[in-house]
Amino acid sequence: MGILWLLAFSFLKIGFFGFGGGFAMIPLMHDLAVVQNQWLTNSQFSTAIALGQVTPGPVAISATFIGYKVAGIMGALVSTLAIFLPSLAVMFLLDKFYLKIQNSQITQSIMHGMLPIMVGLILSVSISLGKPAVHSIWQSVLIIVVMVLALKKRLNYGFLILGSMVTGILFTLYS
Amino acid sequence: MEMHDHQEQNVTWREVALVYLKIGTIGFGGGYAVLDLIHCELVEKQHWLTEQGYLEMLSLAQMAPGALTVNILSGIAFRLGGMKTMLIATTALILPSFFVILLLAGLFFTWQHNPILIGAMAGLTAGVVGLMLAVVWKLARRLPQRWYYYASGAVAFLLSFFSGVNPIWLVLLGGMSGAAKLFAQKAYINKNAQ
Repeated sequence: MGILWLLAFSFLKIGFFGFGGGFAMIPLMHDLAVVQNQWLTNSQFSTAIALGQVTPGPVAISATFIGYKVAGIMGALVSTLAIFLPSLAVMFLLDKFYLKIQNSQITQSIMHGMLPIMVGLILSVSISLGKPAVHSIWQSVLIIVVMVLALKKRLNYGFLILGSMVTGILFTLYS
Repeated sequence: MEMHDHQEQNVTWREVALVYLKIGTIGFGGGYAVLDLIHCELVEKQHWLTEQGYLEMLSLAQMAPGALTVNILSGIAFRLGGMKTMLIATTALILPSFFVILLLAGLFFTWQHNPILIGAMAGLTAGVVGLMLAVVWKLARRLPQRWYYYASGAVAFLLSFFSGVNPIWLVLLGGMSGAAKLFAQKAYINKNAQ
């Protein structure tokens, strides 16, 4: 029972503080699942994020993967509900108080204060994930190729991850 | 303007849930790819909201925490039919990916020592890192161009990478520093005006 409460509480917190889009939740999930609790290894965590990209739906669905690893189907269910609930609650409140909040200076300032933090946090996690797992030149090249394709060609993230998996299989089996 | 009235649209929760189930099934890749799909389904096909209503909802969704697509869709569902529609439709949206990822997680933990999966993981880690760096670049370009924002991003990076501070504290501190900066600026302007 205790573990389900921990999952619910932790993912609710992550849901409330993931400002700046789905990717902003990645550092918070990494801190919970890898750094604080060692529920997942770094490469299992990367898999959780990658599967969140190749399945339909948002990246926050990686919480389902983490919850499943920790406490089976019930863990998956609780984690999924907990990570999405804050979005609904905040959208409900924003809709109620829209006219007051819209373009208000204080909201803008708080958002502008949080955005650079998210940039720093995502950069930090991407290095934490890459450092223990990237050993070969083809992986370094792949990182740059994916980054450039995501930025310049606006390719679908799901296709980029699928392509990376296929590349990984080919290089591992034939080298 | 009609979007402010919940009763204006005669849409049942079943219709909304069905369209959301479709978006949740084919909305693959996340982010802006799915935003195009949402616009096409809800504005162009169903006419559930006007272009202006859509843009308004998009700006609200950007203020809320979490996935942009879930935010915008739950907000639209709330305006279409209140709390009940919001809860049911958002569940319908997430359900397909929930089941797919559960299935994949089960397969992954059974086969994770298989050489093909190990190869796939070596590739996908590089892919995930590449995507995250692309997101870092995109978000950094959205920052207002002031030394202050770059400095606070750099501090957050150093603290998180080298000392493992809980990132939620850093997010809270960032929000508070943004508010403090506003008050300081206002105080400064008032002082100069006197």
